[in-house]
Amino acid sequence: MDIAAVPARSAGFFFALAPRGRAVFFALAAIAACLLFAFPVFWLILTSLRPGTGVYYVHRGTEFTIDNFHEVLSQEIVLRALFNSFMISTLATVLSLGVTATSGYMLSRFKGPIPNAWFSLIYIFRCVPYVAWVLPLYFVTQQLNIFDSYWGLLLPHIAVHICFFSWIMKGFFDGIDPSMEYAAMIDGCSRWGAFWRVAMPAAVPGLTALAILCWLYTWNEFLFALILTAHETPILTVVMAQFVHELGMEWHLMSATAVIALVPALIVTLFGQRYVIRGLRI
Amino acid sequence: MNEKTRFMLALITPAALVLILFQVVPILTGANASFRDWTLHDPKRTWVGFANYLHVLRDAEFRDIVLPNTFGFMIATVACSLLLGLAIALMLNKRFPGRWLVQSFVLLPLMVAPVIAAIMIRWMFNDQFGVVNAALEGLGVAPISWLTQRWTTFAVILLTDVWLWTPWFALILLAGLQSLPPEPFEAARIDAASAWRTFRYITLPMLRPVMVVCIVIRAIDAFRTFDIVWTISGGGPARATELFSLYAYVEAFQFLNLARGSAAAVIGAIIIIVFALLLYRVLNRFVEVSR
Repeated sequence: MDIAAVPARSAGFFFALAPRGRAVFFALAAIAACLLFAFPVFWLILTSLRPGTGVYYVHRGTEFTIDNFHEVLSQEIVLRALFNSFMISTLATVLSLGVTATSGYMLSRFKGPIPNAWFSLIYIFRCVPYVAWVLPLYFVTQQLNIFDSYWGLLLPHIAVHICFFSWIMKGFFDGIDPSMEYAAMIDGCSRWGAFWRVAMPAAVPGLTALAILCWLYTWNEFLFALILTAHETPILTVVMAQFVHELGMEWHLMSATAVIALVPALIVTLFGQRYVIRGLRI
Repeated sequence: MNEKTRFMLALITPAALVLILFQVVPILTGANASFRDWTLHDPKRTWVGFANYLHVLRDAEFRDIVLPNTFGFMIATVACSLLLGLAIALMLNKRFPGRWLVQSFVLLPLMVAPVIAAIMIRWMFNDQFGVVNAALEGLGVAPISWLTQRWTTFAVILLTDVWLWTPWFALILLAGLQSLPPEPFEAARIDAASAWRTFRYITLPMLRPVMVVCIVIRAIDAFRTFDIVWTISGGGPARATELFSLYAYVEAFQFLNLARGSAAAVIGAIIIIVFALLLYRVLNRFVEVSR
């Protein structure tokens, strides 16, 4: 849609510019957006390439090294954290989507007191701040004997996603015409069959988009990982943040780990962005 | 119970089990603590009713600093990231060479862990070693000690939050823009409507439902922001940039009064539940009127 090609009638700063000027203005805006959003990441990468003695004046030195990456990757805890974070993010994505697809479908297809009660419940509990939640959660996971294990982190993560994802999933299923499911049921399909064979395949673009967002969110999550894990299950965000604390500011090691953590996220985003944009068309 | 009800309940059972065990139970446990005397010299944890709530509501720190901070932060961050995100979505909705590259750059904040971004930005605004002050010095401006004054600290926190969340708005609004039907735009073109009028009277009204959901969800999350504020300023200088999550945390874990912290958290939750509901109603009515 090339609206800009139509001659503008109303005045305005942007439209008062000549076509050439407009293109320049547009290019400048694009470059400014790139700089604004890329600069802290660029700075992170630059810091990760500086030797430990040079990080205090990142903007002055000229020495560069990749020793930081060697040093970080030779630490066993970082490797274990990488593996754990990957497993937790992937499992949390699969399980959250499985649990919320049915819940969103229910909210979309049925009316009445049960869906209303369910919606109010997830809405109200979404508003409670994490601070009121995380500490008692620590005791609950201890009671259930799943503290510092995969399940102890996975299940609370699923609980986080239930509200938002159910809401979005409801939107996806609202956009799918239910008459196909009725037709399938008249032809002898059970309710579960209609859900699984007719509605779910139609929701795949939306599910893909949510899967990518969910994976990125869990990969980068910090507060739950900090409180619900200890030595048994190190998580990458916690390990990297621990390089910088009151006793030692190892900026170069933190940045190197953060850059390593950025790589999988980058791959997921670069390949996934078109599916996200296609899938989120609610 | 008929077959339909059984099906409805079966659909939500897994989600409901996880939700009750890992969200409802912990939160109710915390809420229970807020009605008790949690100070160390009372091992019986006597039931004190609403005393903790009254204490929080009477606390000048909470009323005069924390609440204005929280609402100011919420409104500022939602407004800034919405406007910026909308501008970027409109830009990315056009075809131009290098669009894919610009989109990838803009989405970078989604890939960085927020806590790392906050540490990095705190470092960039460090008064001695930070790159921001070095750049100011290069321009001949006196360096500013960003994180020792209330308003500059607040600005840095706001900047971090807007940086982190604008791509999220841009992504969802871009998806919304691309799903709009082309016919009204063609009609506008035939009528030679200007780009601004097309935007104002076609794009914006059609995009509003998506924007309403975005604003409400983001406002709830902004209201309970914790980690980036904790990382950048810790609520300081002198508790001047505390949001209400931090207030609850400081009361519970630094002043070791779990009951008072829980009471503050419950008060905050009630405020945001009511506020988000009103916001949703008002914005929705706004949408209907504009049609």
